[in-house]
Amino acid sequence: MNIENTASQMRKGVLEFCILSIIKQGEAYPSDIIERMKSANLNILEGTLYPLLTRLKNAEFLTYRWIESNSGPPRKYFSLTEKGAVFYKDLETTWNELASAVKELSNAEQAHTEEQVSKEDQNFPENPTE
Amino acid sequence: MANPLTNHKKTAMKQVININFHGQVVPIEVTAFELLKNYTESLSRYFANEEGKEEIINDIESRIGELFQERLKKGSTCITDEDVNAIIKSMGRPEELDELEEVGSNKSSPNENSTSSDQVPPIAGNTKRLFRNENDKLIGGVCGGVANYFGIDTILVRIIFVVIAFTGAGLLAYLILWIALPSSASEVIGASRKKLFRDPDEKIIAGVCSGIGNYFGISAWIPRALFLIPFLSIMSRITHWEFLDFPNFIGLSFSPGSLFLYIILWLVIPQANNTSEKLEMKGEKVDLHSIKNSVVGEMKEVQQRAEKFSKEVQHSAEKFGKEATSFAEQKGKVVGAEATSLLKKSSRSLGDIIVLLVKAFAYFILGCFAFSLVIALFAFAIFSIGIFPLKDFLLTDGWQNIFAWGTLVLFIAVPVIGVITWIIRRLAKMKSNRSVLRFTFIGLWLLGLACFISLLSGVVRDFRSTNNLYEQEIYLPNPLVNKLELTSQTLQNKYNRNKFFHLSPFENIGLEDDTLFIKNIEIKILKSKNDSFRVTMVKLANGRNRRVADTIANLINFNLLQKDSVLQLDKGIGITQKNKFRNQGIIITLYVPVGKRIKIDRSLNWNNTTLHFDNSADDDWGILLNDNEERGWRQNVEYIMNPDGLYTLDGEPADDRKTGGKKKFKIDGKGVYLDENGNKISIDVNGVEIIEGKDLNKEIDLSKKRIDSIRMKIEMDKMRRRDSLEKAKKEIQQQLEKIAFNKTVPEILGGYLLRPYYLLINID
Repeated sequence: MNIENTASQMRKGVLEFCILSIIKQGEAYPSDIIERMKSANLNILEGTLYPLLTRLKNAEFLTYRWIESNSGPPRKYFSLTEKGAVFYKDLETTWNELASAVKELSNAEQAHTEEQVSKEDQNFPENPTE
Repeated sequence: MANPLTNHKKTAMKQVININFHGQVVPIEVTAFELLKNYTESLSRYFANEEGKEEIINDIESRIGELFQERLKKGSTCITDEDVNAIIKSMGRPEELDELEEVGSNKSSPNENSTSSDQVPPIAGNTKRLFRNENDKLIGGVCGGVANYFGIDTILVRIIFVVIAFTGAGLLAYLILWIALPSSASEVIGASRKKLFRDPDEKIIAGVCSGIGNYFGISAWIPRALFLIPFLSIMSRITHWEFLDFPNFIGLSFSPGSLFLYIILWLVIPQANNTSEKLEMKGEKVDLHSIKNSVVGEMKEVQQRAEKFSKEVQHSAEKFGKEATSFAEQKGKVVGAEATSLLKKSSRSLGDIIVLLVKAFAYFILGCFAFSLVIALFAFAIFSIGIFPLKDFLLTDGWQNIFAWGTLVLFIAVPVIGVITWIIRRLAKMKSNRSVLRFTFIGLWLLGLACFISLLSGVVRDFRSTNNLYEQEIYLPNPLVNKLELTSQTLQNKYNRNKFFHLSPFENIGLEDDTLFIKNIEIKILKSKNDSFRVTMVKLANGRNRRVADTIANLINFNLLQKDSVLQLDKGIGITQKNKFRNQGIIITLYVPVGKRIKIDRSLNWNNTTLHFDNSADDDWGILLNDNEERGWRQNVEYIMNPDGLYTLDGEPADDRKTGGKKKFKIDGKGVYLDENGNKISIDVNGVEIIEGKDLNKEIDLSKKRIDSIRMKIEMDKMRRRDSLEKAKKEIQQQLEKIAFNKTVPEILGGYLLRPYYLLINID
């Protein structure tokens, strides 16, 4: 077990959600999506993105249209379908639940440590004069 | 997909090619292109099981294209290796890609998938191929390779081979396989594969020879020649080529063996239809590396694909959402359909084979028929060329001559030339089936046919009438010789030496200078009414009408010359270009007086009057039929004229029919045998026997009766004697018995004494 594997697993889990989030905000094409994710510090390879987009499209969560471009071949612009919107909502819910749970657990640990520290602090009198 | 489009450009450093990448022209270094190609291939493998894989790859490539354009716009002249690598890095190599548990598609865990996708890519081609196994070889690895292909143990294959080798064919088969099968060492993925195909582009009949030529890297003409030589087997007739023995050599023999081999190969070897198969046939690699060498060939198909693809892309770009999806579905279906049709093509059903067999058989029959027609045509042409020089003796100048030429050139030569031209064109693959040429040939041939018909009718007309016949007296200076021998000058038959003609009518013809001599002579022998020899001659000829015939008959120049007892005849009837051949003939009648001898020499060879046509419908011929004619005489035999006909000097009549050919008489130990005129008499121990007597019947019958009665008498006497002897014997016995019963001695004695006398008296 190493960190990379686990990190990769973690990322895999949230990718769909992230991508759908981006698309929800507006029609986007793949390079765009990558840029956005990069700027949010979530790097993703195009080789990962395309299959994912295709799968989502095949599941009818996404739809696309071709838009001609001056600089090169026409591009696919993806947008969310209704089904996709529903899916997104589910994802959001799931994520929120998960996030809060994780947060709680990880914070609880922190909180617990802080408590412990503060408890131990309490054990130690602040004024040595007594 | 990236497709090479146009020619190579050489830069100072590396070779740059222009590719059509998703509708854009991209100049790219060759090495960079290869990197790109590898990348896309690896992606293809990676997404092998992915639903919508094509779309994914398409998207990725599209993105790559975009990136290419960016770089080019920035000012690069071409895409370099670094560019491609950078792009690949940003896109992500398959190994680096995150495996996502996703919605709806069936993907196994990453590890399994990566190992399976590293397998041999499903490029068009078979998975199992017949090659020689380098790892399992005894001699050449042939058995090992065959065993590997069929999945059976090598030893089994070896045993089978050894068994077959005993028939001799096995050894040959092994050698062929050793040469033909590629070694397994060359079985690297993407290595040059060579498959034996039939070549549909370069075919004359079925492309078998072209395919073989391609496979072995030899010109297609070599297997063609090999197939044809045994087929015609002219080689076997070379020993019969006494030079120019023309009509004989045309008896070609068909060897069907190679034809059957051809048909078998036609059935078994598949045809190379699409470009990749054609490349495989010619032995080039089907992957990227082969493109370097056969750019043009690949280009065509590939260009089509690129055009199709860009069309499709544009088409779908005009539509929206749903239509695009449906388009993707369609493509999937098309691919599926292609796969099934490919499957169908590569497996021949039994029905196909049967149809092919029937077709092949029909073609064979047709081919034989056509071939024999052609040969007959050639033979006829040669024949007519051969007798052409003789036409001047037959045909009148003017129209007939023209017709003759017309016939030869148009009727005979034109089809020959046409056939030869057609053959050459087919072989040289000049596909100009211009109907103009064909119509010209046919037109000329019809003209020739017309010429031929008119020629024929003209000639027939010239022979229509016969001449008036009359008997012409020949002067004999010495008609009272005892013997007359008929000879003729020997014909210096120039043509006999020349083997050019073995056609029988011409054996009686000699061509000297410009005169043709025809031995159209008939000789009749009759008994002369007086005691001198007499010779008459009747001339025969045909002509357009009676007058012409008479004229021609008169022109017959035939001479007889008597030198003591030799009567020398001309060697033949002279036909010149002025005296055309008109079925001239001569009948010589020889009147032989009784008691004189004649002999007809062998040089007068008229048993083959082949150029003479009998017109027995003619009334005048009555003059020539003579019941008294002596028949049955032979050449070179001396005959003597007896009152009742010609007889040989041995006394046999010349006419065999008179005797029936049996021996006249014979005398030997058994008796006498006589035979004359059908009456036979034989005298032997049995008596006199007469068989089939005609004139002597009466007397003979009587004598026969008499003889019979004599015989009878003798027989009767014999019998009587025998009988009386028997009787006497019996009496003696009785008496003896009597005496034995009366036992008085004196009586016995007395009886005894008296007995002998008694007996004597009785018996006598």
